[in-house]
Amino acid sequence: MNLEESILQSVQKLPPFPAVIQRVLQLIHDPRSTTQEVVEVIQYDQSITVEVLKLCNSAYFGLRRNVHSLREALVMIGFDQLLEMILCRESSRFFYHPCKGYDLEYGALWRHSIVSALLSGIISKRLGQEMSPTHFTAALIHDIGKVVLSEFVEDYFGEIKQVMEKKGLAFIEAEKEVLGIDHAELGGRIVEKWNFPKVIASCVRFHHYPCSTREDQEMVRLTYLCDMVAMTTGIGGGADGLSYHAYEEVMRQYQLREKDIEYFIVQMEDQFQTVEKMLRIRF
Amino acid sequence: MKIIVGIADMQMTKNPDVTLITYSLGSCIGVTLYDPVVKVGGLLHFMLPDSQIDIQKAQKNPWMFADTGLPLFFNEAYQLGAEKKRIQVKVVGGAQILDDSGYFNIGKRNYMALRKIFWANNILIQAEDVGGNMNRTVSIELSSGKVWVKTSGDGVREL
Repeated sequence: MNLEESILQSVQKLPPFPAVIQRVLQLIHDPRSTTQEVVEVIQYDQSITVEVLKLCNSAYFGLRRNVHSLREALVMIGFDQLLEMILCRESSRFFYHPCKGYDLEYGALWRHSIVSALLSGIISKRLGQEMSPTHFTAALIHDIGKVVLSEFVEDYFGEIKQVMEKKGLAFIEAEKEVLGIDHAELGGRIVEKWNFPKVIASCVRFHHYPCSTREDQEMVRLTYLCDMVAMTTGIGGGADGLSYHAYEEVMRQYQLREKDIEYFIVQMEDQFQTVEKMLRIRF
Repeated sequence: MKIIVGIADMQMTKNPDVTLITYSLGSCIGVTLYDPVVKVGGLLHFMLPDSQIDIQKAQKNPWMFADTGLPLFFNEAYQLGAEKKRIQVKVVGGAQILDDSGYFNIGKRNYMALRKIFWANNILIQAEDVGGNMNRTVSIELSSGKVWVKTSGDGVREL
């Protein structure tokens, strides 16, 4: 078995994404589905329901009366926020662990993921794209490939560094050259395996190559921008650092200027402080 | 005792048992200052060069910007007895994405803003580790004034 094959094989070790979430994402993606249907799917999962209710009744939301059911929660905090909350809690089990290969300590990749997800709301507004939980999910899980690739990056870190220096490559290009597959491509495969909507798989697969695909282009470019801005802040950043290419074409397409990037960061920081507090609530 | 300085945050102390640390700077800049006589030390983590982008935000959290954060940072040190002529200043961070078009060069603009403010106020930088495209973590030991930089994916070294 060559290296690339053993990397693909080790994807099997990753626990499956909760089936309820898979179903929810498919429903959201289907224009014919209703919020009602989504809530019905979620309430079958008791642990998610319990978590949602605890969070809704925590001081963070400061609601005047206790929430006893998912339906009430939906009315009180709204559909999108409810879903974002569930997505964050459910995906944390993948992103919270340290990724030694990327020199990411406990919680670091998780913070980067949350920052990217928050930016998806901020940037999509500026780009005139309608925000949906699908955008949020794509930005949240875009680095899932790193979770699996980390142990291989750890073993071959010296070589990756050498290739970067010798050939003047970005980290991800060296990753691909040494390991045969990079974290974006691997992430795309994982998300396909989870049966997420195809558009999310495209976003993960192309989040470093926004000009290499015409399919789902708008959302791919949004995910790319979220990651770039998140990386620029350094929050939850690792050994790959900021060694990734920016694409002028994307900036021109949306008529973005340097000041826009700064403004995204200001808005994100506000939200990040609040969300970090919320996510620290223990269960 | 380790005290974490968050993003867009600052700590200043005289407590010799403390090490101030700020993680993963990216394009942000970490500035340490230390007065070896009164043993006052501080660490500022600012994110952006110019508060004009959001003046209200700057009023709420001045540490976010170079132009509002740096003057206040030095004032905090003076209030604890530090003197300008003795203060040792070190600068870390200001990295950036690989981007020839310059849209993402916040790291460079952060550093330029800092240099401009220091120049206008006659402040010299004693040591620095800036630029490139790596994440850096910086800490300062109050007992000795020693400053340590960890480059992500690499070791720790004294600055």
